[in-house]
Amino acid sequence: MKKTMFTFLLAFMAISIFAVNQIELIHKEAINSYNEKDYQTALEKFSLIENEGIVNSDLYYNIGNCYFRINEIGRAILYFKKALKVRSDHQAARRNLEYALTFTKDKQNSESESVIRSFWLKAFDSLSINLLAIITLALFMIIIVFISFMIIHYKNREKTIPLFMTTIFIFLFSVFLIISILKWQEFHSDDEGVLLSTSAIGFSGPGEDFTRVFTIHEGMIFKIERSEDNWSLIKLENGLGGWISKDTYVRIEL
Amino acid sequence: MKKIIFLLSLLLISQFLFAQQIEVESYVDRTKIGISDLVKYTIEISGEKIGNISTPRLPKIENFENLGSSTSSSSNYSIVNGKMTSKVTKSYTYTLRPLKIGNYIIPPITIKIKDKSFTTDPIHIKVSEGSTQPAPPTSSSFTQQPNSSLDLSDNLFLKADISKNNVFEEEPIIVEYKLYSRYDIANLAFAGDTNFEGFWKEDIYKPESISFDRETYNGIMYNVMLMRSVALFPTRSGKLNIPSVVLNVDIRTQSHSFFDFGTTKRYNIKNKPTSVKVKPIPQNNKPVSFSNAVGKFKLSSNISQTQLNVGDSFTYTITISGTGNLKQFDIPKLKEVNNLRFLDPEITTDINKNKISGKKTIKYLIIAQEKGNFTLPAVPFTYFDTSSGSYKTLQTKPYQLKIGEGDLTFVASSAAQSIVSLEGSDIGFIITDSELVSKNIYFDKFFYWFIWFIILLFIPASILYSNERTKLQGNIDYIRQKQANKILKKYMKEASALADKNDPGFYAAAQLGLSSYLADKLKEPRGSSTEYIITKMSLKNIPNELIEKIKILFETCNQARFMPGGFSKERIKADFQHVKETINEITKCKF
Repeated sequence: MKKTMFTFLLAFMAISIFAVNQIELIHKEAINSYNEKDYQTALEKFSLIENEGIVNSDLYYNIGNCYFRINEIGRAILYFKKALKVRSDHQAARRNLEYALTFTKDKQNSESESVIRSFWLKAFDSLSINLLAIITLALFMIIIVFISFMIIHYKNREKTIPLFMTTIFIFLFSVFLIISILKWQEFHSDDEGVLLSTSAIGFSGPGEDFTRVFTIHEGMIFKIERSEDNWSLIKLENGLGGWISKDTYVRIEL
Repeated sequence: MKKIIFLLSLLLISQFLFAQQIEVESYVDRTKIGISDLVKYTIEISGEKIGNISTPRLPKIENFENLGSSTSSSSNYSIVNGKMTSKVTKSYTYTLRPLKIGNYIIPPITIKIKDKSFTTDPIHIKVSEGSTQPAPPTSSSFTQQPNSSLDLSDNLFLKADISKNNVFEEEPIIVEYKLYSRYDIANLAFAGDTNFEGFWKEDIYKPESISFDRETYNGIMYNVMLMRSVALFPTRSGKLNIPSVVLNVDIRTQSHSFFDFGTTKRYNIKNKPTSVKVKPIPQNNKPVSFSNAVGKFKLSSNISQTQLNVGDSFTYTITISGTGNLKQFDIPKLKEVNNLRFLDPEITTDINKNKISGKKTIKYLIIAQEKGNFTLPAVPFTYFDTSSGSYKTLQTKPYQLKIGEGDLTFVASSAAQSIVSLEGSDIGFIITDSELVSKNIYFDKFFYWFIWFIILLFIPASILYSNERTKLQGNIDYIRQKQANKILKKYMKEASALADKNDPGFYAAAQLGLSSYLADKLKEPRGSSTEYIITKMSLKNIPNELIEKIKILFETCNQARFMPGGFSKERIKADFQHVKETINEITKCKF
């Protein structure tokens, strides 16, 4: 019995190692194709890796680059956004996204942000979700150690310093915990979408016989409020809302 | 030296300005009179520093007799920006009696004030038979009672002033609706909205409160209020009517007796409709670049940089300023230039208060994409010149651009203000050395939260530990009980060492260890006799065979102690084994 289990495990490991090697091979080929400016092939190969179920910001970033090169700005933006979703501190993806956004027909950047808000966003984006996980855990551990220490030495009169330290750490911990929760929510949210067709008309209701509200073009990023049949109510950054056809956009989700 | 000249000129200018501030006006109380009526002719001189002026002598006026004059003066002080200005008004009123029936003119009169001559306007007066009506009650106030409809139209009317009668399509006309009144007006309101059909309208002025200026019209002084001012841009050709504005005017009637507080009476007045002739813009010879601009314009252009590197951006500004339909026309089209990327222009239109002149600024942001020398071609702008009635084409300057090789590094994005200056010339290169593993999100992993749980266990653990310690500190017997094992172990180590050497000292050590252990466990003093320990043990829940065994053990030890050398090697070995087994059994017992 044990023997069969062992052989089975061995076989599984061999297959997975083989698969990893296979993926690395495809990855190398894709990079070579990209270097030779054969972006279509590179894209196909990168997509093969993506279909293996690998969630990786660098991979999304590379796919975004391929789409940009073959002039599919909408999909390029989608993949840069995906890369940033996995790792919000991916500098290269952020830069490319901002650059790609200059190629869209509709102007979309939040330039009128206050100093505090932009500072907050920068800080928020520069912390990756895993880094936050580690920081929160470390702070939690420090707090628990302090509390345990106080419990064990609770007869000692001198308690103000550990108490003070604990308060500070609890405060820090709360801040990071809140940021982590926000980040985690952002990570798992799928309410953002990117327009992929060259243009789409926003109607005042779910159907073409409603009044036209706006026209948006490829690469537009918006919030999806809700969906009904083949129509989705979206909200643009400037506050405009309207219904667009479901097959014109793709949700930014992992 | 230059400064002195400047100051002197400034002084001169101010002198000139002061002199300019003197105004002379003349008016009559009525222009239509009967032969038996009298006309009051007033010359009014107003200004800041008029000083003493002798009553101007009236020249002989034909067909009128001068019956005499009266003088009145008033001063008006106002403080503006902390500077007080005073305005003195002197009125000389002459009473004239017509001599004949007919149309006459009171000729212009020249008055010299401070070596400057002022000439009044001529006034037409119609003298008819009989008496038209009694003269206004007081000459100083020109508010009076409306008595007849004829009288009303003379003393209260609305007039539309049109800046031009003959215009081209899209050429703006300014229309001013003015209310002329010689009555005491209590209230004013527009009756309904005016629909300017055939025009594209821009409001210039609408009054917020009732305020009158004084103005002479046809020789009579009126209270005048600008009711509305609009700029109209004709949208089609032909004869277009400028609609009338309808006003509801409440006029206060004067009280006749002490108990009559006066009433108001409402009048509905309307200006005479007027029209303008609108000529179509000629369709033949119409240039392709015609932008639908009508008026008179100037074109200028500006470029922020002519020498730049690949990836840099520059602004190209086209400014169209002038008078005309600035808001409506199309912006001039730019020709695409290879290797230059034009972003959608930013268009700002600044319209002056008069709504017909101003400036349109078109700002292009252009990004250089390749190195080399390029020409930004001249941009034509064609408008229809209304003064000459022809199309005119203006052109901007062509610009020579020198684009050098740029470094392809990214521009810092924090300095970016607009969408264009954000980043460099291209997207970054792909990442080739990435580890192709799915990124684990720790928050989604069970193991991560398990660590949290383990850490959290520290607290109950520390509470337990702390409680244990308090028990230790508070109860010596408890400590003894807990430490009994330690002591036993210590003695047994000693005993086993002795047993290995076949030393009978082993018995003493074994007995001491065992008795101390039992004493500690039973919470009895250490020095208790073995008998005492055995009796105490029998009180506890300990199996009798075990007690018996211990008893025998203790006896053996006692024997050995009192008979040294009486035991063989084999006996010692067997007893040691025996002791070990007993201890094993004891430690399993509960005390």
